[in-house]
Amino acid sequence: MKTSYSLKDHIDDAPQRSFKSAFAKMKPLLIQEKKGIIIAFVAVIANAFFNLVGPLGIGYTIDTYIIPQDYQGVLIAGVVLLGIFIAAFISNYVQMRVMGGVAQRTLWQLRNDLFAKLQDLPLAFFNQNKAGDLISRVNSDTEKVNEFFSQGLMRFVGSVVMVGGAGIFIVAINWKLGAASLIPALFIVIFTQVVARWVGRVNKKSLTTSGLLSGEIQETIANFKVILAFNRRDYFKKRFAEVNGNNFKAAFRAGVANELFTPTFEWMGNIALVIVLGFGLYLIASGQLAIGILVSFVIYVTRFYDPLREMARLWATLQTALAAWDRIGIILHLTSDVAVIPAETLKHTGKGLLEFRQVSFGYPEGREVLHKVNFVFEKGKTYALVGPTGGGKTTTASLIARLYDPTSGEVFLDGKDIRSYDPKERAQKIGFILQEPFLFSGTIKDNLLYGLDAYATMTDAELSAVMEKFGFTSLVSRFEKGLDTPIGSSGMLSLGERQIIAFMRAVLREPELLILDEATANIDTITEKILDEILAKLPPTTTRVIIAHRLNTIANADDIFFVNGGEVKEAGSMEHAVEMLLHGKRAS
Amino acid sequence: MGDLAGVWRNVIHWAPVDLPFQVRFSVLLYIAQEFRYSTYMPPVKPQSSMFGLLKRYYVFALLLAIATIVGNGLGLAVPKFISVGIDTFSKGESIATLFYIQFLILSVVIFVFTYFQGVFQTYLSEKAAYDIREELADKISRMTFARLEQETPAKLLTNLTSDIDAIKLFLSMGVATVISSVVVIIGAATLLLRIDWKLALAVLTVVPLVGVIFFVVFKKLGPLFKKTQEFIDSFNTIISESIIGSAIVRVFNSGKLEHVKFSTKNTAARNNGLEILKLFSLVIPAIGAISNVAALIILVLGGKYVINGTMSLGDFTAFNSYVFILIFPFIMLGFVSSIISRAQTSYNRIRAIIDLPEEADSGTVATEIQGDIEVRNATLTYGEKKVLDDVSFAIKAHTKTAIIGPTAAGKTQLLQVLMGLTALNSGEVRYDGHPLKDYSKQTLYSHVALVFQDSVLFNMSLKENIAFSSAVAEEHTQKAIEVAELHDFIHTLPQGLDSVVSERGTSLSGGQKQRIMLARALALNPQVILLDDFTARVDESTEKKILANIEKNYPDITIVSVTQKIRSVEHFDKIILLMEGEVVAQGTHLELTETSPEYAQIIESQKSTNTYEN
Repeated sequence: MKTSYSLKDHIDDAPQRSFKSAFAKMKPLLIQEKKGIIIAFVAVIANAFFNLVGPLGIGYTIDTYIIPQDYQGVLIAGVVLLGIFIAAFISNYVQMRVMGGVAQRTLWQLRNDLFAKLQDLPLAFFNQNKAGDLISRVNSDTEKVNEFFSQGLMRFVGSVVMVGGAGIFIVAINWKLGAASLIPALFIVIFTQVVARWVGRVNKKSLTTSGLLSGEIQETIANFKVILAFNRRDYFKKRFAEVNGNNFKAAFRAGVANELFTPTFEWMGNIALVIVLGFGLYLIASGQLAIGILVSFVIYVTRFYDPLREMARLWATLQTALAAWDRIGIILHLTSDVAVIPAETLKHTGKGLLEFRQVSFGYPEGREVLHKVNFVFEKGKTYALVGPTGGGKTTTASLIARLYDPTSGEVFLDGKDIRSYDPKERAQKIGFILQEPFLFSGTIKDNLLYGLDAYATMTDAELSAVMEKFGFTSLVSRFEKGLDTPIGSSGMLSLGERQIIAFMRAVLREPELLILDEATANIDTITEKILDEILAKLPPTTTRVIIAHRLNTIANADDIFFVNGGEVKEAGSMEHAVEMLLHGKRAS
Repeated sequence: MGDLAGVWRNVIHWAPVDLPFQVRFSVLLYIAQEFRYSTYMPPVKPQSSMFGLLKRYYVFALLLAIATIVGNGLGLAVPKFISVGIDTFSKGESIATLFYIQFLILSVVIFVFTYFQGVFQTYLSEKAAYDIREELADKISRMTFARLEQETPAKLLTNLTSDIDAIKLFLSMGVATVISSVVVIIGAATLLLRIDWKLALAVLTVVPLVGVIFFVVFKKLGPLFKKTQEFIDSFNTIISESIIGSAIVRVFNSGKLEHVKFSTKNTAARNNGLEILKLFSLVIPAIGAISNVAALIILVLGGKYVINGTMSLGDFTAFNSYVFILIFPFIMLGFVSSIISRAQTSYNRIRAIIDLPEEADSGTVATEIQGDIEVRNATLTYGEKKVLDDVSFAIKAHTKTAIIGPTAAGKTQLLQVLMGLTALNSGEVRYDGHPLKDYSKQTLYSHVALVFQDSVLFNMSLKENIAFSSAVAEEHTQKAIEVAELHDFIHTLPQGLDSVVSERGTSLSGGQKQRIMLARALALNPQVILLDDFTARVDESTEKKILANIEKNYPDITIVSVTQKIRSVEHFDKIILLMEGEVVAQGTHLELTETSPEYAQIIESQKSTNTYEN
């Protein structure tokens, strides 16, 4: 069985993740930023320290100067406090600046790694995951990590240090009052633990329903003409009403849960204030506390509960970021199963330009498409693959281009096992015009010259000479602005026009083996003649593999293969091929 | 969210005050988004104020207002309690248990009202979002295809998603924030002035500086956020392309090239992020510094008053609390204004769609369409390009007509015109002598069926996909499946007709998808069927079978087929040759062979087929 690249098989949607696993996941990226992190950490500690010393200074000023009515002392204390405040300002700035830099660079690294991995993974990965899903996953997951990294991380670390620091100060100044004022915090911890599952569940539900909602909107709007032509406006409305209603219910339920946190934290903070006031005044009365220190205590309690609430709020962001990070991590951990294998380890050699030897192939969780297939393609000839839809023609072509590796058996290109080719060399040798032409955004020129360094620096005059040489001139001139015609994301160009561009793009690379997979299915026959002439002009050593339903397209083939039911059989003559096509078994 | 009810949090903040995370993050996001949308969304002139929405949900809006006012108002009492406690104690009096009980009750009441505020604002915003979405969806569902194309699907998508999100944000956060800010600013300022008006004035001149700093810096940050959004958009495009085009990237081995493209944008985004950081890491500490200045003023000036005996120690403590309570709303107001303006823009855009004049189904003719089709001087332009240019032809009922022509000749558009999806700029289409637009949509769509060129499959079962129109009878569905040669294929599926089709129909081959499209059209048991190059991805033998099946099973049907293959339509009653939007020739195969050089040329180009297949 082939490797499964379906992300569904890899992802478990555990709602809660521990700190430890979070840091374990972040470690490889953060380790590069060791220096910055250390500086930022020092700044965080310093900032927390200056912030916490301030209130103590106030309490001290009240007890030492204000109550004894020493105004001179108040002024001196003011100057000292000013110094502390300036230090707090500086440390706060350093903390934000350095940590922000770390976050930006880490994010950059993460995005780069992820993109490199996407390029490295085989086609199977993209076929086993829905494109829409994958795009939104990659884009939104990096965005979530981004949000947390560029905003939340600084804040979160700051809050943690502040809560810890305030806790230590409270207990250190007066452990009795300190311990008493921390009791509501205990309640918060318990409360959070108790509701965590429920909150996680309703939020997950809400996220799912909002995903379904936008999916529904996208699908219907994109397919609106079908909905109209079949008079199913009611379908749109009905489906929409359903997902909209579900979304409303789920979002409201999530809101009811989420809105509980802020008031609860606030409430516990107020309770802590009552405790400080009541117990504090008692301690003052019994001579164990000065009144100024009580004022400081009130500040510290705020200093403790305030960031605690923020921590809780950020915890959700952290969770989301971690889940996103986790999903990205899964993609990053996938490895390509079509890696290059050193030629020395492969002992067999093949015949002709291309040979399939005992090749079998099946998609994961699907039936076998090819079963022990053998054939040889010679240099400079034209081959046609015919057969019913779903018979395995495109699969055969994909194996030739090594978009997949066979489940068993070997494919040889120019005598060497195709797996031993450097991808660059293989790509130069094999051209493949896909059934669904994909064009990159930009202009026609951008697409034709895509990845062709040799042409990249050419002047317009030189380029038009190249176009002439290949016989593209009449094709290019049918586009409004010629080579500079922009390619809209979709819809601007007809399918036939896009096929013409994809055709030129492949031919321009002068591959040794050119596969045309239904490449001209939507092109009119006159234009197709022009394309045929272009193909005829290719060097005589070029091998062509043509997949088509239209028999005239394959009329000039030297050899015709009939692909169906797991077999690739030589059809011999055109008549025989037609016979097989007309009366042969359909894909079953 | 904007829980100003939680202002107690700032009780005696002496040291640098930090903006809550929520505030900073939201500001970033909304300013960025505002810039993002203003770039590609033309401003719409205001129709009606968004505040009108509040009237619609006045019960909940009122409840929200009450909860917010009470919650925040009571929040202001907390520092007073502490100040009273300290003063009572300083005077050597003992504090009654009742005092603590009152404090506890107060905290519970604040809790309840704050929670209600949260629930009300969630309900209000979600309910309004739900209603607006319904209203918008209802409107869209009644649009014509031409209107939808004009409004563009991308824009409607934005209306239904981010525009509604903006309104939701206004309702969930904006309303409560405005109310609570006003309550807190007025309340705290009054209390300050009452405690000591001289000190209050000194402090009140410093605190609003926070708002000023915020405003100035964010004005500078705006363009940078806009740039960030552009970078994110551009590398999201690259990611999307590399996923959709993953096959071609592998064929060309251009992964490195894509990576360079991506990396350039990624680096630019990072550098821009570092630029933002430069400003941003100043603004937060600066706001902290301002609050510290206020703290020092209170300490030095207030300390003097306490020493002079003109101010109690309790009031001195309370003073500090109120000052820091005051800072928060100034920051909040600054950015709520941006939420409001953005929500108003979004609301205008949505209203512009909802208020579009109703394109009523003016058609009244409901007689069964027999299939006589007449196109008179049809002209259709897209921008400056003439897609159809004075096209005229007539088709008799129960006959077969082929439309042949090169790529981009306007064939698909012609079919969309015949289907009534696209309106002509001039000229008209008649069915059985009645103009197309006089037919009720119901009649038209149940008698005329179009097989689209691109396969559109919905995420539901095969059966629902085929019997998509509600006018479909079970027997017709079965017949359509047989005729489209889908029977064998459906039998191979474990769940048969009930198998659910996945997104974009990736599990199906191109030919299978096109046969499903055909079955969907045939299931209507239509009088007229329009085929848009439907055999392009079906192999020859299947195509022949299908055409023969249609002719046998639907003997009275009128066929209009856009196709590339002359051979399969040679025996048709009429062939129309369309080039560059013009009808170049029409007639039977034999007539055209003799009279039309263009047609002869096409035959020539397809000749090889004949020699082999005869």
